[in-house]
Amino acid sequence: MSNILEIKGLTKRFGGLAAVDNVDFDVREGGITGLIGPNGAGKTTIFNLITGVYKVSSGNVFFRQKDITNTEPYLVADYGITRTFQNIRLFKNLNVFENVLTACHASAKYGLAESFLRLPRFRKEELALKKKAMDLLDYMGLADRKDAIANGLPYGLQRRLEITRALALDPKLLLLDEPAAGMNPDETEQLMKLIANIRDRFNLTVLVIEHHMDLVMGVCEHIVVLNFGKKLSEGRAEEIRGNKQVIEAYLGGEHAEC
Amino acid sequence: MDAYLEGILILSGINLIAVMGLCLLTGFAGLFSFGHAGFMAIGAYTAAIFTKMLGLPFVFGIAASAVSAAIVSWLIGMATLKLKGDYFCIATLGFGEAIRLILDNFQGLGGSRGWPGIPASSTLLNIVILDIIGVVLIANLVRSRHGRNMIAVREEELAAQVAGINTYKYKMLALVISAAYAGVAGALLGHYMTFIQPKMFSMVKSTELTIIVIFGGLGSISGSVIGAVVLTFLPELLRVVDKWRLVAYGMAVIAIMIGRPRGLMGGFELTPASFRKLFAERKAAREIKAASRLYSDDDSAQGAGR
Amino acid sequence: MAQFLQQIVNGLSIGSVYALMAVGYSLVYSIMNFSNFAHGGVIMFGAYFGFFAMTLLKLPFLAAFALSFTGTALLALLIERIAYKPLRERRAPFLYFIISAMGASIFLENIVIATIGPTFRTYPKVFSRTAIALGSIAVGRLDLIMFFVSAISLALLVLFIEKTKMGKAIQASAYNMKAAALMGVNTDQIVMIVFILGGILAGIAGVFFGMKYTVYPQIGNITTKSFVAAVFGGLGSLPGAVLGSVLLGIIETMVAGYLSSQFRDLIAFVILIAVLVFRPSGIMGKISEEKA
Repeated sequence: MSNILEIKGLTKRFGGLAAVDNVDFDVREGGITGLIGPNGAGKTTIFNLITGVYKVSSGNVFFRQKDITNTEPYLVADYGITRTFQNIRLFKNLNVFENVLTACHASAKYGLAESFLRLPRFRKEELALKKKAMDLLDYMGLADRKDAIANGLPYGLQRRLEITRALALDPKLLLLDEPAAGMNPDETEQLMKLIANIRDRFNLTVLVIEHHMDLVMGVCEHIVVLNFGKKLSEGRAEEIRGNKQVIEAYLGGEHAEC
Repeated sequence: MDAYLEGILILSGINLIAVMGLCLLTGFAGLFSFGHAGFMAIGAYTAAIFTKMLGLPFVFGIAASAVSAAIVSWLIGMATLKLKGDYFCIATLGFGEAIRLILDNFQGLGGSRGWPGIPASSTLLNIVILDIIGVVLIANLVRSRHGRNMIAVREEELAAQVAGINTYKYKMLALVISAAYAGVAGALLGHYMTFIQPKMFSMVKSTELTIIVIFGGLGSISGSVIGAVVLTFLPELLRVVDKWRLVAYGMAVIAIMIGRPRGLMGGFELTPASFRKLFAERKAAREIKAASRLYSDDDSAQGAGR
Repeated sequence: MAQFLQQIVNGLSIGSVYALMAVGYSLVYSIMNFSNFAHGGVIMFGAYFGFFAMTLLKLPFLAAFALSFTGTALLALLIERIAYKPLRERRAPFLYFIISAMGASIFLENIVIATIGPTFRTYPKVFSRTAIALGSIAVGRLDLIMFFVSAISLALLVLFIEKTKMGKAIQASAYNMKAAALMGVNTDQIVMIVFILGGILAGIAGVFFGMKYTVYPQIGNITTKSFVAAVFGGLGSLPGAVLGSVLLGIIETMVAGYLSSQFRDLIAFVILIAVLVFRPSGIMGKISEEKA
């Protein structure tokens, strides 16, 4: 299988501090790759660098062999990469349906004049957008909440809505930032199945940041471990599980206490 | 019709156009401008140049007023819309003052003493027609993908960006359209008063327009329409206490932001469908509240366990 | 040459008062991350407080001065408590703060018009109008005092921020409010202190503007220039605010002296546009990336 995303020598410095330091890794097309590491390891920063939210200090990001380093976020989304946020960022005052409908925008082509005058193409494409949004909500089990204001949704459903909104863009690569944060084991289990389902149904690639080792080990075919902004290790789940360095990075603090 | 009543109706109609533009900019795209009276000034003077100096028909004056205000706003947008919101606010503040200073000192257009003799082309009829067109265009826009993208920028800019929305483009679009509306309002005002003077377009005018949008509710078109008419009539009814009017407005603006930020209409649009929805939402909101209470208990137990 | 030096001196004097306003505004900006557009109203009240303390209460100048900046400190604090605190607690969007500030600004300006009236008032004479000769240049006594009092006030502010524990807490909060709160800084207290400091500087500036020109309800509009000066120097940077203000003051007097006084007020906006187009981060500032 080919690589959909290649990260080469990626570095991000804030002032003198390197939050991400010369990191290389690849994400295989069609797979689910896990990005793990203790707090402050630079995982979210890597997402911000891939999606153009932060400017890269040095190194490159290639998406399908195309150099997308320092591309504006909205263009990165156009190329087919989209993401969720660790601290959920929904369109808070809009309802569930509107959140997803807004993100469907790229599936329609009608212009400004057609919007102002509600010309036939506007009507036709709007209908298609609404159907698409509704289908997505159905698939994600949010259809019965479609009129609820996003901000008032329970936490777990907010995360689910954020993923739905990301799917509305028809991404090729979906970046999930701690999708299971704050979930109980049951919900985490459900989420694992959902992520695998999404991958198969929408035919996309997933890169997921996660703290829950269960989720990572259960669903990820390939795992990249970060520590202090550097890549510590990389490999299949069972390889990572046995890796001494990884165990130390994760448990180091507690060893000291013992 | 009573000439006095007609006069107030005309002024509400003119305000309404400028307010519709600001409603899009502030209510839907979430940008705050201190300088919309400046765009009105540009529209008023441009239109007067076309009709009074060049002797062209009023329609051309109106079109030119929209285009000229839009171009100037585009320049301001280019300089500021990629930066933090404060820069845009300060730039509009500076622009509003600067345009007045320039006109004050430009003797060719009457300078600070004003420019009389503009043809009286604004009538209640053509203003009402423009109002209807203006409201329909904006109402259609905000219910399209372009309008939704503007709302997304207001709600959560970063999320909008990663959802593939060119936030700069949509802020610019909202700014340019709102400036064009202000320009047309300026043209209508000049051709109703038959006299224009830089101080008619001071910052007080800008804030009055913004106040109407806030009273009507950020993101409510019907609120802005009602606000424009009511708040243009109100000063006429309250002549006696006029000097306290703005004192009350100032307090009300703060009170609205603290207590009811979506304005007196609360983002609610006056359409038959919205009434039906209102009842459905109330019910759903109660259910969600009950559900989220259960959920949050669950959640905190989890957090403690970890 | 003498005329040039004279312009520099006049520019320094007016620039130092701009600096009082711009620093007060930047201080609040650095903590709250929004532009307090009600700052002009506080300055206007400062001018009136000083004026009435001297005319109605017949207080000597220094007492009136102290009364004025105490009053504006309280006023600034009151605005924060009423117009901003509820929004802070709700984590309301940026737009709401700006609108609330606008409301406060409209209220302040119009309550003065409604009660005291829109008339222009002149401060009683405090300092002799005869200028002091320094070699070939003449400096007005008021200008000289404005410059020194402003410089001393700003120096005291710097001392406060650099040397005291509270000052360190302000610096930490300006850098990262959330982290400061986690480290045990009482951020609500910091916000109050910052508004009080801004209010004091606004009061001093208000009295000086009232003495140099006249007192009227729209005198607060002059803060527009301090916003420009703050952007010029670098939004959120205190040294930037001082530098931007002083440069703006000098450029303005130069333009008035060598070109035309009509252009004096316009030049601020020309500078604003130039800065926004060519160097939006200003002279000293840097644009930080939003934390995702």
